[in-house]
Amino acid sequence: MASTSNDNVPQHMNAPENASDELEPGACHDSILNPTDSFEEFASEMSSSLRETCLTTKSSTISEIQSEILETAEDPKLKAAKSSDDLQTKDGSMSASASNSNLIEENGDDTDDDKDYLQSPELVNKEKHVFILSTAGKPIYSRYGNEDKLAGLCGVIQALVSVIEEQNQDILRFINTKDCKAVFLVKGPLILVAVSKSNESETQLVLQLTYAFNQIVSLLTLTQLNRIFEQRRNYDLRRLLAGAERLIDHLLVFMEKDPAFLLGAVRCLPLPEKARENITNAITTTCHKIRDLVFAIMIAGNQLITLVRMKKYTLHPSDIHLLFNLIRSSESFKTAESWTPICLPKFDATGFLHGHVSYISEDCQACLLLLTVQRDAFTTLSQAKHTIAEKMRRANCLVAINNALNRNEELSTTKPLKHIGIPEIRHFMYKCKSTAQLFSSDPISLDRLQDYRLRHKEGGDIVDKKITKLSDIDYVRNYRKFCNQIHCVATPAKLIFRSSSQDTILSWVTNGFELYVTFDPLMEKDHAIKAVDRLLRWIKKEEERIFIMNAPTF
Amino acid sequence: MIDLRSKINFFFVFNPTFGPKEGDELKRILYFYPNEVSPDARKMQVGLCEAVVKFMSTFSSEPCEALQTQSKRYIFFQPEKNFWMVLVVRIPYTTKALSAVGESQGDIVNPTVMQNLLTSAYKMFKMFRGPFKNIPADDLYGISEQFFTPYISSRHLTNDISDVIPGINYLPLDKNSFFKVVCFVDHLEVTYPDFKCILFLYNDQLLWNGLCTEDMLTLYQYLVQTLLPKQVEIEIQGGVVTAAQRLGRFISPPDGIHVKEDLDKLIKIHVTLEDDTEFKEYYLLIYRTLSATVCFTIDVNTRLELDTVKSVDAFIGPQLSAIASAISEQCSLHALQAAQLASEHKFVYFNRLNLILKSSPPVNKLQISAAIKPEVLSIMSGIHADRQSLGNYGEIIIKTPDEYWITGKCSNDREFYVIIQEKNANLKEIADEVKRVCEAQMKGIFFYPM
Repeated sequence: MASTSNDNVPQHMNAPENASDELEPGACHDSILNPTDSFEEFASEMSSSLRETCLTTKSSTISEIQSEILETAEDPKLKAAKSSDDLQTKDGSMSASASNSNLIEENGDDTDDDKDYLQSPELVNKEKHVFILSTAGKPIYSRYGNEDKLAGLCGVIQALVSVIEEQNQDILRFINTKDCKAVFLVKGPLILVAVSKSNESETQLVLQLTYAFNQIVSLLTLTQLNRIFEQRRNYDLRRLLAGAERLIDHLLVFMEKDPAFLLGAVRCLPLPEKARENITNAITTTCHKIRDLVFAIMIAGNQLITLVRMKKYTLHPSDIHLLFNLIRSSESFKTAESWTPICLPKFDATGFLHGHVSYISEDCQACLLLLTVQRDAFTTLSQAKHTIAEKMRRANCLVAINNALNRNEELSTTKPLKHIGIPEIRHFMYKCKSTAQLFSSDPISLDRLQDYRLRHKEGGDIVDKKITKLSDIDYVRNYRKFCNQIHCVATPAKLIFRSSSQDTILSWVTNGFELYVTFDPLMEKDHAIKAVDRLLRWIKKEEERIFIMNAPTF
Repeated sequence: MIDLRSKINFFFVFNPTFGPKEGDELKRILYFYPNEVSPDARKMQVGLCEAVVKFMSTFSSEPCEALQTQSKRYIFFQPEKNFWMVLVVRIPYTTKALSAVGESQGDIVNPTVMQNLLTSAYKMFKMFRGPFKNIPADDLYGISEQFFTPYISSRHLTNDISDVIPGINYLPLDKNSFFKVVCFVDHLEVTYPDFKCILFLYNDQLLWNGLCTEDMLTLYQYLVQTLLPKQVEIEIQGGVVTAAQRLGRFISPPDGIHVKEDLDKLIKIHVTLEDDTEFKEYYLLIYRTLSATVCFTIDVNTRLELDTVKSVDAFIGPQLSAIASAISEQCSLHALQAAQLASEHKFVYFNRLNLILKSSPPVNKLQISAAIKPEVLSIMSGIHADRQSLGNYGEIIIKTPDEYWITGKCSNDREFYVIIQEKNANLKEIADEVKRVCEAQMKGIFFYPM
């Protein structure tokens, strides 16, 4: 019987912790991902005091890479942004919409109009609103409705934030009623607000707002974003963010459905060890001579197939999530090879990487991203891509990828619960902490997400439907509270076992992993312990397939 | 014990419909604590709260409950339409576990404790002064000042379970002793029809109640938190108990009832009696003998004669003292049994229907017990607040990094919590231990799953 109090894996599969081949399922010594928890980062961010703008970034990773590549030194300084002159296209009519001098006055005048608009069919009864505005109070993004009509509301938000900041020397965090939370995040020149009736905690909502902010940064770079507003406090950022609205829309849906965000981890496409090795080899053998290539990433259906990286550099899961979102949201990548600037905020928020993005072939929906610091490497990378695709085809990798994507019934990872054979387990998700990778019993496939997006387009409304059969997304929704308690800063929990007439949920965190399992209702504790034990052994057995167990470099 | 004044930044009551015009903002503020705060700062705080309430009303039909900033928490309560009470408390803005920061137990007040403080402040106001809306607007400022300032300085918080889950400590009695109490109450009410017995306490334990559940809790809190501690102090300082005290005396009005003028000093309360639907005003009389305390109400329209009161005094005195002695014997017996049963683990039992709160070590407002660790308390209050996620019956077990296991069980309106600190235990062992505690302490009370 597993001792659930131990911080280690159950005893009989757990040799002393330092025995290298007995790590918890999925762990390996070298990780492609930077396993810093978003929760830890969040905590440190939340503790930053008022006056220190948390946006002063450390020295640029990109310029560091560039200076290392001496051969390509002809253009050492990356011109990260468009020249700021571009931004000064005049728009004289813009003036500060909000004066913070008279909060109540403003509130009184504006909310009446706002109320009318907020009660209109396109805005009323939404589960979660997200508003983004500039610190001058100018609307930038609203998840629903037309942000132009929300100028009044934005004025109120701006006034609330600035009154608390200026008169109380404090930072506005959240407001709540019994059924609704409003969460505020001020990041540099932007104010982000989520108003939610979902069961997500304040921390989880702030994390989502941070993602939305990073999505904007990934299009502009932080340097440019800050510069724009330094030059013109009233700048209407929407003019620079054409197309970003769709990306943020998709990101918000993505975050609500996929446990990857909840856990701060990346899901890998389950592949036979050999196939993944072949794909990685195809990339390394082709690319090892391209000196300014920083990352080669292959993904399919929001899952990572492989990631090859320049020595010393790793990617943060949240940057990969943004890449997933970019690929998933852009149909145009499917039709042609593309060359696009991408800023990865955790990697280097100050500059752009240049990305060669393409799908491997017509008959395989795997997408290859080649990220470089070199701005005119398109031809080189395009050639590399074709070589990689060819090598993969010869090594039969495309079949393996397609099998996994189509969830071929013969694969043990397609229906893991059936394969493990513990009927009491209804759903589980597992995160290996050291590598920031996750696996769950029912991966949310791309088309399912698409499906949700369609449903979402029509609504995002709160519906009181009687749930007859839980979908994987409903399970994940149920885990939110548990995740929050586990990661709660002031009063964290190591283990939570909750049993009711609906279900039994166990969540368990150790030094090496996080595990969330839903069982049948009123599950006996000793049965649950045994089941978890078997589950962990299964994951250990399959780890080479469901996780990326090495960290290849060029 | 926590000094409340050091925890509260501000406490204020406002009504935005008073003084709707610009320049009249101060009229909206019915009460503001602390008094030193300048009018401008008052206006700023109240203005902010008004704006927040309005902002949230665009998204939700529920009233605003809280506003949190980096360093403060504003707790909102709207007891009556347009009347808002706001309590502003400092919060530790820590990014580490509470224990890691080295905050001592008394430094952190659980947010639920503060929320309960706000609601009980209103309930107390309503009981002794009536609802805000019944008081003429011009009188409200003075009445609030008179009531809330002493209230804040007299409230003591312990950051213990009884401040997180406000409940009532009942006294379990054998049939015969309880029958004596019932007979006494009936006999009294039959003999003096104007008198209605609404509460009978032994020490801080409830024996008899004649109020609706909510008012019962408020009056109970008034007695055990405010009135009785003072009385006990007087009794202790008095040294030898005088003959008059042994036979009992009225403790409310505070100086007893000796002459006709004392009748004008009677306190009035606004309550709903049990088996009654009407919220009415009554005189409140409180009588105490030894450790027994009895509260009576008399309709305010009754013409009360000094003779009647004197004869009631003569009626109650000897009877009550006999009952009190009998109960006292019972209690010492009971204490012996309890000592044998004593559980090494802390447990708490609460029933929403009758507000019974039972815990080990026993809840005793008159004696301060060792406080629970703030993290553990916070987890318990989380379970209590999120009870509905367990449905009609269910259980939750949470383990903290420092090896505390907190178990919460609930069945219908009953809740049961056990705190166990045990290294290297597993889920099953903890569940078995909880089962043992439950069987030993809660005989006859059914929890499912077992």
